[in-house]
Amino acid sequence: MKRTMVFGALMAASLTAGISPAAAGSGPIKIVLAEEADLLEPCMATRSNIGRIIMENVSETLTELDVRGKKGVMPRLAEKWEQNTDGSWRFHLRHGVTFSNGTTFDAKDVKHSFERIMSPKNACESRRYFGGMNVAINIVDDYTIDFKVDPAQPILPLLMSLVTIVPEETPLEFIREPIGTGPYKLSNWTPGQQIVLSARGGYWGEKPQVTQATYLFRADPAVRAAMVQTGEADLSPSISQLDATNTKTDFSYLDSETVYLRIDHNIAPLNDVRVRKALNLAIDRQAFVGSLVPDGAVLATALVPPTTLGWNPDVKVFPFDPDGAKKLLAEAKAAGVPVETPITIIARTANFPNVTEIMEAIQAQLQDVGFKVDLKFVEVAEHEGYYSKPFKEGRGPILVAASHDNSKGDPSFTMFFKYASKGTQAGFSDPKVDDLIQRATAAVGDERAKLWSQLIAYLHDDVVADVLLFHMVGFSRVSERLDFKPTIATNSMLQLSEIGIK
Amino acid sequence: MLSFIRKRSLSSLISLIGLLVLVFFLSRLTGDPAALFLPVEASAEMKQQFRELHGLNDPLLVQFGHYVGSVMTGDLGESLRKARPALDVVLEAFIWTLWLAAITMSLVAVAAIVVGSLAAFRSGGFFDRFSSMISLIGASVPDFWLAIVAIVVFSIQLAWLPTSGTGSVLHWILPIAVLFVRPFGIIVQVVRGSMIGALSSAYVKTARAKGVKAGPIIFVHALRNAMLPVITVMGDQAASLLNGAVIVETIFGFPGVGKLMIDSILQRDFNVVLAAILVTAIAIFIMNVLIDLAYALLDPRIRH
Repeated sequence: MKRTMVFGALMAASLTAGISPAAAGSGPIKIVLAEEADLLEPCMATRSNIGRIIMENVSETLTELDVRGKKGVMPRLAEKWEQNTDGSWRFHLRHGVTFSNGTTFDAKDVKHSFERIMSPKNACESRRYFGGMNVAINIVDDYTIDFKVDPAQPILPLLMSLVTIVPEETPLEFIREPIGTGPYKLSNWTPGQQIVLSARGGYWGEKPQVTQATYLFRADPAVRAAMVQTGEADLSPSISQLDATNTKTDFSYLDSETVYLRIDHNIAPLNDVRVRKALNLAIDRQAFVGSLVPDGAVLATALVPPTTLGWNPDVKVFPFDPDGAKKLLAEAKAAGVPVETPITIIARTANFPNVTEIMEAIQAQLQDVGFKVDLKFVEVAEHEGYYSKPFKEGRGPILVAASHDNSKGDPSFTMFFKYASKGTQAGFSDPKVDDLIQRATAAVGDERAKLWSQLIAYLHDDVVADVLLFHMVGFSRVSERLDFKPTIATNSMLQLSEIGIK
Repeated sequence: MLSFIRKRSLSSLISLIGLLVLVFFLSRLTGDPAALFLPVEASAEMKQQFRELHGLNDPLLVQFGHYVGSVMTGDLGESLRKARPALDVVLEAFIWTLWLAAITMSLVAVAAIVVGSLAAFRSGGFFDRFSSMISLIGASVPDFWLAIVAIVVFSIQLAWLPTSGTGSVLHWILPIAVLFVRPFGIIVQVVRGSMIGALSSAYVKTARAKGVKAGPIIFVHALRNAMLPVITVMGDQAASLLNGAVIVETIFGFPGVGKLMIDSILQRDFNVVLAAILVTAIAIFIMNVLIDLAYALLDPRIRH
């Protein structure tokens, strides 16, 4: 009898094992993040700590950018779109979509969502993508809507991937319980402890494998790594390189952060192009990769990562040439440039891994060719004061070490702010740069890519705008029970529907 | 006694008001919250709108007037970052800190008094030297290191305890154990020193001569007299725990007031900073009154 029972149990076990590939593949998961979301406001989803949780999980957008393939802008809540003869954009909306509160999605919700973002009654972050634009919205019918933007916006479909859609009843003020059309709804939020999203019935798209996602928050990277190891969590999108030792669970990925030194061209000796070139030649970028900067990081020739439209493969990284740097400095000195003026590097504490060591090494390399360099570490608020205009009067020559994130596929999210005369972080003003930015922003298709390429080459080779360093990689730990590879967008968006359960 | 508490309350109230005024102006000296709430790419117009929305464009004195007005009605304002009442945010976190501090300090008090007294009873003996070494290590070991090592040993290697977070009794063990170490190390030393003094006093010698056993001598006769300096130091240690155990909270993902306060300062979330200071200051004031009462209970000379 006993033997039969054991046999039966074994049979049952083997049967379950046999069935399991079909039966598995759905269930709850736990995700541990570094920074807690202080708000779950849909119009703040472009901020990474909020977007990672709700973007496309709870709140969806009309379009989305394909970051895994090269399909560009893809339909989401809009099925298709086209440009009308007057330059306005017409979006055809998906039918049969409902919000998690049961109401039906239509053009009125799109109009309200957009107007809410532009309202002065809140501080919606996504508004920044529409600065200087005049947008007139016209509802053609329940499922057709026109956006007329002045000046004309060739990338409006891409910009719509940043506008989260809320029901038209949503108040203009910030809300704490996001209602969206996405595959998940917020089911629990205990501030300081956890946020839980649950899959909801009635979602228009494919049913995701993850039935519930619990988000936990731990500031310490070693703890995040340990939690996946012990099974307390299934996924940590960012762990430290030191902890990424298990090839079965730990992956590195290009994370869209680009590290650079922003040069303030307004102050001597940094107003001299020879000096700026010498700064670039003095740094041995390759020596950092695999030592202070993780293997897999890419040397940067532009402030946007190589997956961006118009990234220019012909622009070459400055070689490590200390003799060349010394020569340029000597030339500049002979021409009366005060090259001995001490230059200050302003860096932000804990801005990216190893920031202290990287900056100290750069300081030493610059000193080796004859620069006088001080290094100053500041907190985020003070850093912002150095990085953004208005710059302080009476400042000395400054290099600001910063990390810039553009995973959005188009350089327009970077170029205006960092390089146009009116850009808030631009360290110089150059009419040709302004002209190229203006033309590229207005262009479409191949012409657009060509103009961005031209700008990238001009900034790097002629203006020598800044000291570009690395496109960084991040490390993630993914439990073996999950089927998931992080992408360049994982920093700002983590779509639960892309996570498979083995 | 009542008049004593009343007097203390009044003087504490004055220092509390001074503190709030100071923090109000000092925090605003750190700069503009708009620059941190909005991304670096935000336009000047957006920043202006943000300041308008939160009344940050008004002259400082006007802002202060508004603040005082609303504090009078019990409203400590809204958190800029979290878009909810600052006091709710702080109280939510403070409850965790209060429990953490209360449990840790109770354990520390019992353990340190027992170990310190026994060490003093045979000062110079093996137990004394052993406990001195342990307490010295405890008082000087960095807590971030201890926390990480504790996680590696007890959560990863032995898999006995969860690494971090909240949810069950087990989650409290590592944070409390790590927080326990330093105050324990310090207070054992104080108890020992104070007990050695008390044990060499005339009344203890008399008791010994009368044949009283070691236990009653230590814990009944000497301890009561040795407790006064111990209570002072315990109060200090408890106050620093009430201010939040930032490192332990950060590593263990414990939702206490310490990390909240640091984050709010860094993000210029002024209302939360002020509310957190108000709440912890009141808690520390209450604790100080309790300490004074304990003095009075222990020492009749103070009572009369």
